[in-house]
Amino acid sequence: MAVVQRRIGAIFGLFFLLLILAAGRTVYLGIIRGGTLRRAASDQQLTNETVTAQRGAITDRNGVDLAVSEPARDISADPYLITDPLGASQRLAALLSQTQASVLSELSERRGFVYLARALPARQADAILALKIPGITGAPVMRRVYPRGTLAAQVLGVVGTEGNGLAGLEYSRNAILHGRSGQRRVVSDAIGQPVSITEAHSEQPGKALTLTLDANIQQRTEDVLGAVGRDFNPKDATAIVMDPRSGAILAVANWPQVNANDAGASPASAMEDRAVGFAYEPGSTFKAVTVSGALQEGLITPSTPFNVPDQIQVADRTIHDDTEHPEETLTTSQILARSSNVGAIKIGQTLKAERFNGWVHRFGFGARTGVELPGEETGVALPLDRYSGSSMGNLPIGQGELVTPMQMASAYAAIANGGILRSPHIVSAVGGRPQRGPAGHRIISAATASALRHMLEGVLAPGGTASEVSIPGYQLAGKTGTASKVDPATGEYSQTAYVASFIGFAPAANPKLLCAVVVDEPQSGSIYGGTVAAPAFGQIMSFALPYLGIPADNPTGQGP
Amino acid sequence: MTPPAAAAAPAVHPRRIATPGRRSAPPRPRRVSGPARRRIDARPPRPAQRRPDAHAGIAVGVLAALRGLSRAALLDRLLRGRTWIALVAFALIGIVTLQLGLLKLNASIGRTLEKEAVLQRENASLSIENSELSAGDRVESRAARLGMELVPVGALRFLAAHPEIDASRGAAALSAPVQSSSTGSEAPATGASGTAPAGASSQAAAEPTSTQAVGGPSSGEASSSPTREASASSGESAGSSAGASTPSTTPSATTPSATTSSTTAPAQAEPAGSSSAEASPAGGTQAGPTG
Repeated sequence: MAVVQRRIGAIFGLFFLLLILAAGRTVYLGIIRGGTLRRAASDQQLTNETVTAQRGAITDRNGVDLAVSEPARDISADPYLITDPLGASQRLAALLSQTQASVLSELSERRGFVYLARALPARQADAILALKIPGITGAPVMRRVYPRGTLAAQVLGVVGTEGNGLAGLEYSRNAILHGRSGQRRVVSDAIGQPVSITEAHSEQPGKALTLTLDANIQQRTEDVLGAVGRDFNPKDATAIVMDPRSGAILAVANWPQVNANDAGASPASAMEDRAVGFAYEPGSTFKAVTVSGALQEGLITPSTPFNVPDQIQVADRTIHDDTEHPEETLTTSQILARSSNVGAIKIGQTLKAERFNGWVHRFGFGARTGVELPGEETGVALPLDRYSGSSMGNLPIGQGELVTPMQMASAYAAIANGGILRSPHIVSAVGGRPQRGPAGHRIISAATASALRHMLEGVLAPGGTASEVSIPGYQLAGKTGTASKVDPATGEYSQTAYVASFIGFAPAANPKLLCAVVVDEPQSGSIYGGTVAAPAFGQIMSFALPYLGIPADNPTGQGP
Repeated sequence: MTPPAAAAAPAVHPRRIATPGRRSAPPRPRRVSGPARRRIDARPPRPAQRRPDAHAGIAVGVLAALRGLSRAALLDRLLRGRTWIALVAFALIGIVTLQLGLLKLNASIGRTLEKEAVLQRENASLSIENSELSAGDRVESRAARLGMELVPVGALRFLAAHPEIDASRGAAALSAPVQSSSTGSEAPATGASGTAPAGASSQAAAEPTSTQAVGGPSSGEASSSPTREASASSGESAGSSAGASTPSTTPSATTPSATTSSTTAPAQAEPAGSSSAEASPAGGTQAGPTG
C-alpha cells in the first residue's frame, strides 16, 4: 500500500515538475521573449497586402481595346541582404532585360532599397521571384499596355509609374479610370499557405471608357498623315474625322507618331494633341465663316456679284489675291471656290466689323469647344475694341485670329449638319453607361447652311482650289486654306512658313462625315492646302465613307 | 491489489434503497451539485415587488428561470447520462472538424486569389492579343494574301430599305420568274459583263444574307437604271425574263437557303436589260457592285 502511495506520489511529483517547467517555459516565451517572437511571427506569418485596383480599359466604339492594364510587379532589391551581387546579377540580368553591368551596379549600391525594374510583366516578375534570391522582392502593381502602340497615342496619353495618368485621356479621366486600391491581411502557415485572409477594405476597379473613335478609321487617318509627313516633311500635322450630325469624333490623328508604350523615347512635344493644342491662323478656311455670316444676315446670296481686282487697300495694308488677275466680276460662290482674298474682304466689309465679330464668336471661336480632350486651347478671337483700321482687311480671310483644328472642325460641322453648333465629343460611355451627347444650338438657318454647302462643292469642282480631289460616286464639299505664319523673329508674316489645311465633308447634300486636315509648315514640295491637305482629306474620306456604309450621291460610281 | 473495505462495499444507489415503509413517503428532493442552497420557504413566495429598474427585473426573471432549469430532473438525467458524453464528444469532434474546414476554406481562398491573379493576367494578355490581331492593316494584309481586295471606291451601291413596300414588292416579284424559268436558264449571258456564261443557277442571283457585294467585272448584273435598283431593293431576283433554271428553284432564290453569293457568282444568266439584280434583303444596306 505504501509502495502504491509512493508511486502515486512520485507520478504526481513528476507531473507537477513538468507543469512547473511548462509554466516556466511559457513565462519565458510569452513574457521575456514575447515581443521578439510576436514580431517574428508577424513577419513570417502575417502580411498586409495592397491589392492594386485594375485601371479601367479604354476601348473604341466597337470594343477594340486601345489601353489595357495587366498585372505586373515592381522588382526591388535590398543590397545589404544580397551576399553575392555578382552571381545575383548574372541570374537577374536576362530576366530583367538589362545588362549584367547595370544590374550589378544597382546591387552594389550601399543603400537598403533600389528598384531593379518598374512594372515588369507578371510572367517575367514571377520568374525572377522564383529564383528566391534573398533581398529581391516584387510589389504587385498594374502595367498599362497600349496594344496598338502608336494608335491615337496623343489622344489616349500615358500613365506614370505610380499608376496615374500623365497625358491625354489617361490624365483628364484619371479619376474614372484609376479605381481604388484595397488592403488585405493574410496569415500564412509554416509553409507559406494562407490560412486566414481578411479584407481590410476591398479594391474598387476603375471604370472602362468607351470612346467614339473607330480604330480602323483612326489607323487609316494616321497612315495618311504618315504619308503626308514623308512627302512634305512638315513640322507636324493633325487630322480630325467627325460625324457632323452628332459631333462624335471618329479619329484624331497626329504626326509625328508616338509609341504610347515607350512615350519616353519621343520628345515631350510629340505627345501634344495638336487637334486641340495647336492654335494657328486658319487662312482661307475661315472664309466660310465670313460668307455664312453675310448670307445669314441677308446681305449677299450665292449669286451676288462682286467686282474683284487682284488687290485691295484696307487702311495701311494692301492685300493681294494669290495670283495676279485683271479685275473681274465674281459671284459669292466663285469667290469661295477660287478662294479670292479680295472677294472675301469685300464680303466681310458688307458685314462691317461689329457684325463680323459677332459671327466669329457665334461660331465658337475664342472659346474652348468643350471636347473632353485635355489641353484644349481657346485660340484668339480679337475683341471688337481691339480691331484696328486694317483688321477687316485680314480677319475675313482668316489672318489675325488664332483657332484650333477642333474649333474649325466644329464650325464646319455646324455648316454640314444644317446650322447646329455642337461640342465635339470623344467619350461615348463610362463604365458601360452611355453618355448623353451635347445638345448644341442653332447658329445659322438650315437654308444658309444648305446654300453654303452647295457653294463649298465648287471648291472641289473644276476651277476650284481643290479640283484634283474627288471620290468616285461621292459629292464632296470643303475649303482649302493656306495661311502665312508669323515669323517670331521679325513679327511679320513669313514668306516661307505656312499652314496648309483642308476641311470638308461628304456627301455634300446630306453630310455624314467631316474631315479636317491641318499641316504645319510643309517644307518640301507644295505648301498649298489644295495640294498638301486636300489629297489627304480625299484619301481618308475614300476609306471612311464606304467603311461606314455611307451611300454615294451618285450610285453609278461616276465621279462628280 | 486488495481494495479497501470501503471501496469493496457494493455501491448502492440511493434510489435503489427504497424500503416498503418509505415508499409511500414523498421522495426527497435530490441533492443538486453546487453550493448548499438556503431552505426554500414553504410559504408561497411573495409577489416580486416591481422595482423601478426594468432591467433589474428582467435579470431577476432570467436568474429565476435558470434556477428552475437547474432543478429540472430531465436536464439532470441528461447531464448524468451517457447521452451527454456522446453529445460532448460529438461537439468536440464538430469543433475540430469546423476548424479544419475553416483552415481548408482559407487555404482554398488563398489558392483562388492566386488563380484570380493568374486569370486576370491571362485576360489582360488575351485582350492585348485580341486588339493586336484585329488591327486593320494586319487584317488587310492577310486578306490580300487570301486573294481578297478592297472594293474600289464608288463601286459600292447602297440600297435604301422601305419596310412598308419591300415585302409587297418582293411578293409580287416572286411569281414573275416562274413563267419564264424554263427558258431563262439556258439563255446566253448578255448582261453587263457580256462574257458571263449562261447556265448559272438562278439562285445565284440572290443572296438574302449578304449585306455587301464586292464589285468587279465578273458581276455581270451591273445595274444602273432606277428600275433595276428598285428591283434590287426588294431583295430578290425579279423580272419577267430572269434566268431561273427551273420553277422549283426559283422560289428558293428568295429564301435564305439561296446561298450562292452574288458577290462571288462568276456570272448571272440574265439578258441585258433584265431587271434581275443581285440583291440585298430589305434590311440590307449595301448591295451590288456596278460594273
